[in-house]
Amino acid sequence: MPGMRGRGWTRSWGRVALCGILGTLGPVGVLGCRGKASTPPSDGSSDPAEADPSPTKKSAKKDTVDAPREVPVILLRGGRLMTAAGNIFERGDILLKDGAIAAVGETIEAPAGATVLDIVGKTVTPGIIDTHSHMGVYSSPGFKAHSDGNEAVAPNTAYARSVDGYWPQDPQLERARAGGVTTAQILPGSANLIGGRSFVVRLLPWARSAEDARFEGAPEGLKMACGENPKRVYGDKSGPQTRMGNVHGYRDAFQKAVEYRRGWEKHEKAQKKAAADRKMGISPSSGGGKEEASVDPPARDFGLETLVKVLDGEILVHNHCYRADEMSLMLDLAATYGFKIRSFHHAVEAYKIADRLADADTAASVWADWWGFKAEAFDGIRENAALLEVAGARAIIHSDSAIGIQRLNQEAGKAMYAGRSAGLEISENQALRWITYNPAWALGVEERTGTLEVGKLADVVVWSGSPFSVYSAAEQVYIAGELVYERGSQEPRSDFELGFREGDIGGDAEGVAP
Amino acid sequence: MSPVPARHRRRDLLRGLGSVGLVGLAGLAGAAPASAAPPRSRRRGTSTGASLALIGAEIHVGDGTVIKDGTVIVRGERIIAVGDASLGGALAADATRVDLRGKLLTPGFIAADSHLGLVEIGMEPGTRDDSGGEGPIRASYDAASAIRARSSLVQVQAIEGITSAAVAPSGGLLSGQVAWVDLAYGKGEALPTRPRIAVGGGLGQVVDGSRAATLAKLRRVIDDARLYRKLRGAHERRQLRDLAAHPRDLEALFPVLDRKVPLTLRAQGESDIVAAIELAREEKLRLVIIGGTEAWRVRERLAQASVPVIVQPSENLPGSLDRLGARLDNAALLDAAGVEVGIAIFGEAHNLRNATQEAGIAVANGLPYEKALTGLSLTIARAYGLEADYGTVSAGKIANLVTWAGDPLELEHFAAQVYVRGAAIPMVSRQTLLRERYRDLEAIRRRGR
Repeated sequence: MPGMRGRGWTRSWGRVALCGILGTLGPVGVLGCRGKASTPPSDGSSDPAEADPSPTKKSAKKDTVDAPREVPVILLRGGRLMTAAGNIFERGDILLKDGAIAAVGETIEAPAGATVLDIVGKTVTPGIIDTHSHMGVYSSPGFKAHSDGNEAVAPNTAYARSVDGYWPQDPQLERARAGGVTTAQILPGSANLIGGRSFVVRLLPWARSAEDARFEGAPEGLKMACGENPKRVYGDKSGPQTRMGNVHGYRDAFQKAVEYRRGWEKHEKAQKKAAADRKMGISPSSGGGKEEASVDPPARDFGLETLVKVLDGEILVHNHCYRADEMSLMLDLAATYGFKIRSFHHAVEAYKIADRLADADTAASVWADWWGFKAEAFDGIRENAALLEVAGARAIIHSDSAIGIQRLNQEAGKAMYAGRSAGLEISENQALRWITYNPAWALGVEERTGTLEVGKLADVVVWSGSPFSVYSAAEQVYIAGELVYERGSQEPRSDFELGFREGDIGGDAEGVAP
Repeated sequence: MSPVPARHRRRDLLRGLGSVGLVGLAGLAGAAPASAAPPRSRRRGTSTGASLALIGAEIHVGDGTVIKDGTVIVRGERIIAVGDASLGGALAADATRVDLRGKLLTPGFIAADSHLGLVEIGMEPGTRDDSGGEGPIRASYDAASAIRARSSLVQVQAIEGITSAAVAPSGGLLSGQVAWVDLAYGKGEALPTRPRIAVGGGLGQVVDGSRAATLAKLRRVIDDARLYRKLRGAHERRQLRDLAAHPRDLEALFPVLDRKVPLTLRAQGESDIVAAIELAREEKLRLVIIGGTEAWRVRERLAQASVPVIVQPSENLPGSLDRLGARLDNAALLDAAGVEVGIAIFGEAHNLRNATQEAGIAVANGLPYEKALTGLSLTIARAYGLEADYGTVSAGKIANLVTWAGDPLELEHFAAQVYVRGAAIPMVSRQTLLRERYRDLEAIRRRGR
């Protein structure tokens, strides 16, 4: 059949091509390219992380700020400063210098050469942070060709990485930036029990690759999914068909990770012993054949390697999970294997176990009011975030939507006002933290961004009014001190959209739409 | 099909006026509504009983006017008088007075093109009745016959100020007959419903994956509806060629052909909107555009043809080729060009309540404030031809009213009290019950639950 032949041809062609390309980049043995010897991790280290040729190596770096770009020194003067660190200056100044926040206070002297912007009447907040986005992996337009978020070939694809599917020209990114978003976690989808690694992006308009956008030093995440989605996707295939199968899938994966890690530990031990023996002048052959064999490293498995990093606390778990009972179960499972769940996502029933989430120090990334689109989302309430806050748990408002991400400030506002309306005491500072500091914590970057504090990255938004008003808009957005958006005058657009708008071809600037 | 008996309304109104002793006949002008169908709920007898007086609010009438320190008098299910503070003096002794000083009062908001009552849980097919099958022509699919009045979604929307919904089927080119419901409490299966207030459909690549094929099919169906009506006998004697749709589906289009009800078409792209305008002009149909992502590009033509457009203002993503022109100021541009702009949340049932936020987003992007309120009420009533009964705080109209502590479009404010058909509804939903159940986790711990 022509179709079959076509597919076969494509597959073999693809393999040849991959071997050709990857042969120069790293270990190719896993691809089964003929004629090439399998290449072990280059440095022969026993730590699989060290052997990883992936960009995740960067996560080991401890930079305090991004590589500085040329940015002017800017003093924003006279705005209402909502620091998200507890205090609100009804009228204050903030100094952005060398990519960082250099000073925050009631009155700051402008240093020589600083650009002073009078923003009396405006409100300043930290840049908004979203823990849950698929921008760049489910891009707009929703072409088939843009579907890069779910590697739905098996329920466990821990090896997959969203960074490899990310399209920095997704027009959704600009709109999110115009909504004051400076940082977002790009997650694989929720088709799989274990969907793969996420990465954290800065919404920089000039990013030409995922690496350009990556938040340097931010730990990666692991996307896991409870409940209906994996059941639905695999129920008619290999399974899981039920929540029983789901949980087996997690246990099986982490059990294998434990054993994989043990294999590497054993290898490391043997290697150390061999080195010590060599130093002592003992011949390897005299040590016995068994131990000599184990000096060879275990076969490398990228999926298990990801899970080992989770066990080691290096990769943070982000778990799509709606129901309270399932979240409880996942907390127990994580405790059994000795890892932490950093944040549940969606978590529409988090309010039912707010106490347990507080005890486990696991955040809940929730919506302000989405509910009912599936059975596990049926018990959603408007006061979810507020009840979490009151119980001492870490609440986050997330989007999972390229529309919602444009107004996370409004979503936080809705959740705050709903709480207040129900008699729960929620401060503006607390609600602001739902979209700034708390998501920064969930992404492991809370020491770098998420509040207006001296020394942090100058991720700053100037709003026309209260961020919790439906009428407010972000007027200026700074990422690491660089003005990346200014309403009405600097609104970058993606390559994709060029030429489609009125005015692009005719040169009539007024015809270019917001 | 006779229009809603205007006599009833007039009699109710006059009776109410008699007891209050004032005359305000504004709502009576052109009282015969355009609806082709009588209301299912009987209005007779509902006008007796004490009246309700809502006193002292700032009334945003819904047509752009504002009455400071206003009074609304309700008897039965209808508003019988609207005026200033002096109205209160003429009240009957047994009237219930509600002091609304410092509050706002608006008409109940109307959800256009919703699935309310047709879906309980989005991804559970067993709870969905919004789609009437496979083929593109399902004009006889009648949403009213499937609406679940006891849906938990009704109160969730109602307590936030949505008091009516146009319930539309989805899918296909002609999806079916749209129903109108009032989100009244305690009516059980007799939720006040007006069936068949419009025929809803959608353009795009619906037929054979082609826009052109979709439009051609729509024209053939309209042609054959006319043919079938004219030569029904011949069809029954099998002397007529094959028709483009089942006779029931063609018959369902007769009120559209007679301009008794509108054809509400989901259309996003410029070309589809223009094609719809052309079709409506040639076939002399009442057209409403739903969606209208790129409507701003053809706003002059829409204004010229007096075609209202119902938009969801936050939709600014270039999600497909017919939405590349999506922009946040769509509503503002349409309004400035003289197009009637309604505001809605599309294809939804669970969060119709967020229509107020959508209206606020439209205001933030240039739509005048009172136009945004009108877009949630009168414009939608008018689009569906029910403005005689809905959409403003006016004497003679059904008493769907909402009180607010402040600006209803602002996120800070939730409805204080909602009245549907003259009755204050319980401000309780399944969601507020869940909230109260889990409010005190300490107590739950102690109980060992």
